[in-house]
Amino acid sequence: MSLTLNLLRWLVFITAALVMNFPVLSTLITSLKTSAEISSNPGLWVFKPTFENYALALQVTERLNIFAYLGNSLAAASIGAVLPIILAFPAAYAVARHGYGRNFLLPVIVNLRTMPLVIFAIPLYMMYQWLGLLDTRLGLGLILTIVNLPLALMVLVNAISEIPEELDEAARIDGAGIGHIILRIIAPVCRPALATTAIFGFIMAWNEFLFGLMLTTRDAVPMTVGASFFFAAAGGGVQWGVAAAVMIIAALPPVLLGLVMYRQISNSLTAGAVKG
Amino acid sequence: MVRARYFNENAVLAAPIVLFLLAFLGFPAVVDIIYSFSDVSFENLRSPRLSGLNNYAAVLADDDFWQATRFSFKFGVITALAECLIGLFLAVFLSPLFNKRPWLLAILMMPMMVAPAMVGLMYRLVLHEFIGPLPHYLYLWFGDSPSFLGPDTVFTTLLVIETLQWTPFALLLFYMAYQAIPAEVREAALVDGAKSVRMFWYIELPLMLPVLGIAFFIRFVDGFRVFDNVFVLTGSGAGGSTTSLSIYIYLAFFRSGKIGNAVAASMILFVVALILLIALGKLRRRMARA
Repeated sequence: MSLTLNLLRWLVFITAALVMNFPVLSTLITSLKTSAEISSNPGLWVFKPTFENYALALQVTERLNIFAYLGNSLAAASIGAVLPIILAFPAAYAVARHGYGRNFLLPVIVNLRTMPLVIFAIPLYMMYQWLGLLDTRLGLGLILTIVNLPLALMVLVNAISEIPEELDEAARIDGAGIGHIILRIIAPVCRPALATTAIFGFIMAWNEFLFGLMLTTRDAVPMTVGASFFFAAAGGGVQWGVAAAVMIIAALPPVLLGLVMYRQISNSLTAGAVKG
Repeated sequence: MVRARYFNENAVLAAPIVLFLLAFLGFPAVVDIIYSFSDVSFENLRSPRLSGLNNYAAVLADDDFWQATRFSFKFGVITALAECLIGLFLAVFLSPLFNKRPWLLAILMMPMMVAPAMVGLMYRLVLHEFIGPLPHYLYLWFGDSPSFLGPDTVFTTLLVIETLQWTPFALLLFYMAYQAIPAEVREAALVDGAKSVRMFWYIELPLMLPVLGIAFFIRFVDGFRVFDNVFVLTGSGAGGSTTSLSIYIYLAFFRSGKIGNAVAASMILFVVALILLIALGKLRRRMARA
């Protein structure tokens, strides 16, 4: 009885894993086929595996430059991962230690997670035009910061709340200023939470598409938007093998981070949902 | 005295995040409000003329706006429901596997790590009628394959795509809530002779109900504001039948230059979201007190 039930569980798990990951698996397989094989064999088996699609994907042409997209994503997502922490950490301290903003500031920021940010897209576009931030990595990074702020604040408030208060009181009695307490005493203890927040924020920022599409045109195009360029047929139609290779390259950084850090990331993903 | 010192200190500590939000959301919100009541085009961006409620009237009279609202609402409700039901089943049924081998969760979390825009692009390949593996096998096994992105099936296709990517989110939440049920509660129920089905229905499910509500709400909002995967997969195609509200705003601004429409639609969305959030906050506080 228990054995059959267990077998059934494995069956369900494997089915779910294959179905949910089907687009990625199938794209990975296609990326390893020659273009001749792609048109003759659409199935999920590669008879003559090749890396030529990856070589072609990495080739810089006048129209397409995957290194530029990757670099843009790396720069913008790094800003979007680190800046929210710098902005939210002091505020999180005030919230966690002194209950500051619990009634207004905290709920407002946390609820931003459920605000469709497209609402602000048009004024932001105009503001960026005036400020010269359109089509810049910094401009994109600043938007990604907004996207990541709510979760960063929530996770950091939770993390600081768990640190015993005696720690900063002792430092205060020794005459330490607030800057010293936050940077030298609280931050080191929070290191795991800070790392998780940064990595989760990086994944979210790397995967963002809407603002990348609207606010960049040429110089700061991120990978998610750049990948779609490979689908715009040039001359002989879409090169599916190359497009598949590009998508695998684009998906690799967040997926690898996610696989390695799944435990911490599952905590960030569900932060606020279970606790707040 | 101590209070006063803390107050100043708190204000300084909160200043960076507050100033940043005022600049990047507060200012745009004000611009949104002004523009929504103005006659505005790309020529007079800096000196919009007030025009009362014209923009709102234009949006509310626009069939495309209502079409987009209906799409977003239906999309949000159906995907959230499907994700929660499948996620709940998987979380509970597979929990013995996850308890013993937590890394199995990582495999099911993988879809969430891929950008929705990228997943949408991947489906262009997967569903392609000549080179896509899915139509290929459907032809091979059943002799027929639907045209997944055709006008009759595209809505269902999009629902399935969204659900497959985000069911893991619901699963994760429910698994954590399921694990958080205290062992004593289960033991007490076992002593009372509860069978596993009854235990789930009368004890475990009620305990998980708040998390179920939260998961549904988060997934509904994300489904309602969907953009990336739908946009890359269908654009505004299929006769505009797959235009979500986010896509409507984007197209009104970037494609047809109807800034007034786009901004008024944004404001309507903003107000509706705000009302929903306030109502939900009240409900939550009442539930917490009860």
